[in-house]
Amino acid sequence: MINLIQTLIDALALGSLYALAALGIGLLFGILRLINFSYGDLITLGAYALIVPSADAVANMFIGNWPAALMIVAVCLIVVIAALLSDALVFSHIRRAEPSTLMIASFAVSYVIQNGILMVYGARPKSANLWSDLSYQITFGELHIPLLQIVTIAATLVLMAGLTLLLKRTSLGIQMRAAAEDFKMARYLGVRGNMVIGLAFALSGVLAAVAALLLLTQTGSLSQTMGTPLMLFAFIATVVGGMGSLLGAAAGGFAVAFASVFLQAYLPEEFRPFRDSFVFAIVILMLLFRPSGLIPTKALVERV
Amino acid sequence: MLEIKGLAVSYGATTALAGVALHVEAQEAVCVVGPNGAGKSTLMAAIAGGVSPRAGSITYEGKPILGMRPENIARQGISLVPEGRHVFGTLTVEENLFIGTYAMADRRHAAADAEMLLGYFPRLKERWRQPAGRLSGGEQQMLVIARALMTRPRLLLVDEPSLGLAPKIVDTVYETLLSLRRERQLTLLINEQSSERMLRFSDRIYVIRNGRILLHGRTEELRDGEAIARAYFGFDDKADAALEAAP
Repeated sequence: MINLIQTLIDALALGSLYALAALGIGLLFGILRLINFSYGDLITLGAYALIVPSADAVANMFIGNWPAALMIVAVCLIVVIAALLSDALVFSHIRRAEPSTLMIASFAVSYVIQNGILMVYGARPKSANLWSDLSYQITFGELHIPLLQIVTIAATLVLMAGLTLLLKRTSLGIQMRAAAEDFKMARYLGVRGNMVIGLAFALSGVLAAVAALLLLTQTGSLSQTMGTPLMLFAFIATVVGGMGSLLGAAAGGFAVAFASVFLQAYLPEEFRPFRDSFVFAIVILMLLFRPSGLIPTKALVERV
Repeated sequence: MLEIKGLAVSYGATTALAGVALHVEAQEAVCVVGPNGAGKSTLMAAIAGGVSPRAGSITYEGKPILGMRPENIARQGISLVPEGRHVFGTLTVEENLFIGTYAMADRRHAAADAEMLLGYFPRLKERWRQPAGRLSGGEQQMLVIARALMTRPRLLLVDEPSLGLAPKIVDTVYETLLSLRRERQLTLLINEQSSERMLRFSDRIYVIRNGRILLHGRTEELRDGEAIARAYFGFDDKADAALEAAP
């Protein structure tokens, strides 16, 4: 029983991280039909933003030493600016391109960011201690829960609630939803296309920044590909959840995390190294039998 | 009010419009009629900024609007009701209706306008908080017209309002449009396939086929419908000759 609860909390915490990243990918896909493979690199960038730029093996905290509130705002700003730059320099020039072209362009952006990080920070992974207090474990009877897991779940809930309020209750949010459903029609009614797209990039940047902080706290190490696995699982989550549906992206994030954590806990010992193959097998089955995802969206009709 | 000259639009190698000239005076109701694929929808999309023409000029109230973004053309006072309705299906009726006023940050008249439009379309009031995707076809058509009018356009472009609707509902739609024209000094440019309705409701008519205007004139002069039928179906030798001679 204790084991089950422990596993559940692990899955919730991992799912939160996946959901955050999946929402960032889903937002851009919803509005731009852009499958953004540079999203993981925005996460990496958010983590590297905390340290003094240098090729030294030891990471010296820079922004990472600031008070938490200031640090979060600063990292969010940096990642948002990077996200907006990737739009201004690359994606805005190929607005009318096919989704496949957009996706390939996002690979290019990904390589540029990764190599930029390599040039500035060097190729060696660095260890970096962020918020080490969060590794403290809270004990309920026999249950031990790392504070970080609670913070991850709470941060995700707060961000998801904020995003929901923004999308449902504000004029900007309603314009975004309209644009996500029918971009051209929204513009015919006066919705400013670039404003909505910019907002989507900015929001995805905020989500990437928070994911970066949580990921770095968890792993304690920096490398120029650290965001990639998270991005991959988040991408799978959006596919499982139903591309284009934000609710689906979040649900998909939790679904993938639950599959992964429970397989890890309950697979026979000798199969555990192949856990991810099992996760991907479930995804393949999912695509075969429910190709539009857990929560299908009608907004998927191609934009003319 | 609206003046189009030499408008040409291509999609890749396909010519959609060639040398189209058209004008609409303030508070007129002008119909563009033509078979499927004649270029009617392309014409409207070009006016609203949705496609980029290859050549030509579009002036609205003396101001060139060709090349402007759709959202800025909307701000000039032109609103498009596209073919196939295009409601935002997951948004509520209320959200659909107000999207234009949100976008243009012009909420002074929004409540009063909505009230007035709901007088014309009381069905929408009953569906106020439902997702627009659940409305019937007729209700969706009412919603998109009301939604377009919420931006307070002076020129309303309506693309095939009768497509897929029961005749009785289409009549309601037309009657509403015409009374709005009187009460709100609205100018109408309507694409239509049914010549009977067009003869009943419009001041002037353009017949378009294969991307070219083949005939235009005042509705009362074309009343017998014969010239229209000839141009529409291509039985008119003169029109055909014009088509052949065109580059």
